[in-house]
Amino acid sequence: MSRFRPPAWFVLLLPAIIILAAVVLIPLILSFYSSFTPYKLTRPETLYKWIGTFNYEKAMKSVHFWSAFGRTVLLLTVALNLEMLLGLGLALLVNKVTYGQRALRTIMMFPMMFSPVLVGFQFKFIFNDNVGLVNNALQSLGLTDRAIPWLVDGQLAFFSIVVAEMWSSTAVFAILILAGLFAVPRDPIEAAKVDGCTPWQSFRHITLPYVMPFIYIALAIRSLDVARAYDIVQIMTNGGPARRTELLWTLIGRTGYVDAKMGYANAMGYISIFLAIIFTVYFFRKLNAARSELGMAG
Amino acid sequence: MGNQKLKVLLGATALAAVAGHSTAGEFDGITLQAKLIGGQQYEALYARIAEWEAATGAKVEVISKKNHFELDKEFKSDLAAGTLGWCVGSNHSSFASQYPNLYTDLTPYLSADFIAEYVPANIAASKIGDALVMLPRAQFDVSALYYLKSVYADADNQAAYKAKTGRDLAPPDTWEEYKEQAIFFTDAPNFYGTQYAGKDEAIVGRYYEMVIAEGGQLFNDDWSPAFNSDAGKRALSWFVDLYQAGAVPPGTTSYLWDDLGQGFASGTIALNLDWPGWAGFFNGEDSSKAAGDVGVIVQPQGSAGIRTGWSGHHGFSVTEACDNKEAAASLVAWLTNEDSQKLESAAGPLPTRTAVWEHVVASAEGDAYRSEVLKAFQAAASHAFPAPQTPYWIEATNLIYPELQAAILGDKSIDDALADAAEAVDEMMQENGVY
Repeated sequence: MSRFRPPAWFVLLLPAIIILAAVVLIPLILSFYSSFTPYKLTRPETLYKWIGTFNYEKAMKSVHFWSAFGRTVLLLTVALNLEMLLGLGLALLVNKVTYGQRALRTIMMFPMMFSPVLVGFQFKFIFNDNVGLVNNALQSLGLTDRAIPWLVDGQLAFFSIVVAEMWSSTAVFAILILAGLFAVPRDPIEAAKVDGCTPWQSFRHITLPYVMPFIYIALAIRSLDVARAYDIVQIMTNGGPARRTELLWTLIGRTGYVDAKMGYANAMGYISIFLAIIFTVYFFRKLNAARSELGMAG
Repeated sequence: MGNQKLKVLLGATALAAVAGHSTAGEFDGITLQAKLIGGQQYEALYARIAEWEAATGAKVEVISKKNHFELDKEFKSDLAAGTLGWCVGSNHSSFASQYPNLYTDLTPYLSADFIAEYVPANIAASKIGDALVMLPRAQFDVSALYYLKSVYADADNQAAYKAKTGRDLAPPDTWEEYKEQAIFFTDAPNFYGTQYAGKDEAIVGRYYEMVIAEGGQLFNDDWSPAFNSDAGKRALSWFVDLYQAGAVPPGTTSYLWDDLGQGFASGTIALNLDWPGWAGFFNGEDSSKAAGDVGVIVQPQGSAGIRTGWSGHHGFSVTEACDNKEAAASLVAWLTNEDSQKLESAAGPLPTRTAVWEHVVASAEGDAYRSEVLKAFQAAASHAFPAPQTPYWIEATNLIYPELQAAILGDKSIDDALADAAEAVDEMMQENGVY
């Protein structure tokens, strides 16, 4: 009787399979399973009670969940677009610099080195209505004589969060687009110049198509980031006041870790993952389209 | 016969240990793992652990030092993962009820006389049902009223207040008067009458004590919500009226304790209901613009003639899974005995043992401010009551506070906000099988 010998490819892949299973698959399966239970962290026995799709139904019917969902999509749309525009502008400016560009690139990356928690605290202080920098500056300049409630008013708080997100992450766009700009060939731009194209025309029809793939990669990466936005918002407003800035992950984080309702939090998490998937698929499609326009598809 | 002897011996050992005079070598070879609250202010007490180790022969291995919110998450993870091999944990009266099965009843390991040395209200707040799940340390919190003396001494203020209300201007004894004065003192955006914690457990705790002061209850006996009542509405309207009148900073709904402390220390807030830990900070030349101008009195009363008094205290607990509960109980008793509490309260925090209260009040003689603070907080402590003792307290606060905020900010009426909060809490309690 011959002993079972697994195929060589399987043996070679086995360590990778084991590691992937341990760090990705098992937690995923466990959290997915727990979303069908009333699992509470403080009551481990609840992990074994099957309640079917109760948590999913509860989330689907929850006004708070869907408003947080909507707000997250809004933040994603506004923050990504603004970061992209600013990042593009920043990259174009830095690309023009001939002396000290390396130093500028390093300085540009500083905000990325800050922990989001620190960024949250920093902007919480800046926008504090009583002792904050912005209100003090506005009052000292005589632009207003009242304390503007930056982190209380729904729209202003949303604006403040967008500013904090932009400050910390515009550099991601700038760096990636700058890399794209370095890759733009000089010949077509010079040919366009000879043909009498305006700077706007050569940017619109030559430079931009070349950097579009880089923009879409940055958008895909940042969309995943913003869809999971938590730290900055948690510190600045904790989703409040009165749920005015509640995002998906501040809601899920509070449900899971403060209320200890892990089963329900996981159910909300799994519904939310669709958001990330939809945006990623959308940006990758755009990326492929942009690449095929440049004849790079395949 | 031998068995009897052993019992007597064990009993004597336990009693000696709980009195803080441990017998040399009685716990030789035992190592206790501990998860303690971390922070510079707690280190002086932890230095005493070495003395207990020397006295008993046991070893203490501190495997985690974090703040209570982080410890809370860690305890929940431990419960979930079943990693409960450690023995001694820091506890807090506001968190304790969340882990009803984590900690053991300490009563069998302590003598009745020893327990009687603690302030009875603190011992009552350290129990879940009949089980004494922690021993309180000298970190007791209840809020009293801090105020700026200069605004009351100001002749113009006195005259204007008299003309407006017909009463003399003096620090308030009722919450209605407090509200009136806060609105009167406000000169926004440079000076506000008062401020309050505006989110998380903090605002619900403040609301809770205000409901009690108004003669109501947050929960019925079966833990169904009871705050959607006249008393509940009166309590919430206090917060709403102050906000709508602009007598609090507009950002107050995002304030927590640190923001409030810094706010009062900036000298721009007239009245501030706050914890004892801030007393030194508020009067410190380096830390506070209000230094030298701070007065402290007992907290005001509501329309029911009851004073607010939401309180909390730190303590130490022994896990149910601990293999050496006797040694662990001895350590916990040591860390909260008279000497330990004297040491801790020397730095400012309030004690939870009757004899230590007398000691700190006596030792503050000659320091007018410290005496005023201690007198106020001793009076405050006599009105203290703990957070509702339900494992769902924190979960309930997370459902209640956004609704309170919605009423304060004008997004909802008081009636709607309380109805929505009560409905959410009712649903949560039912989902958890409470009733």
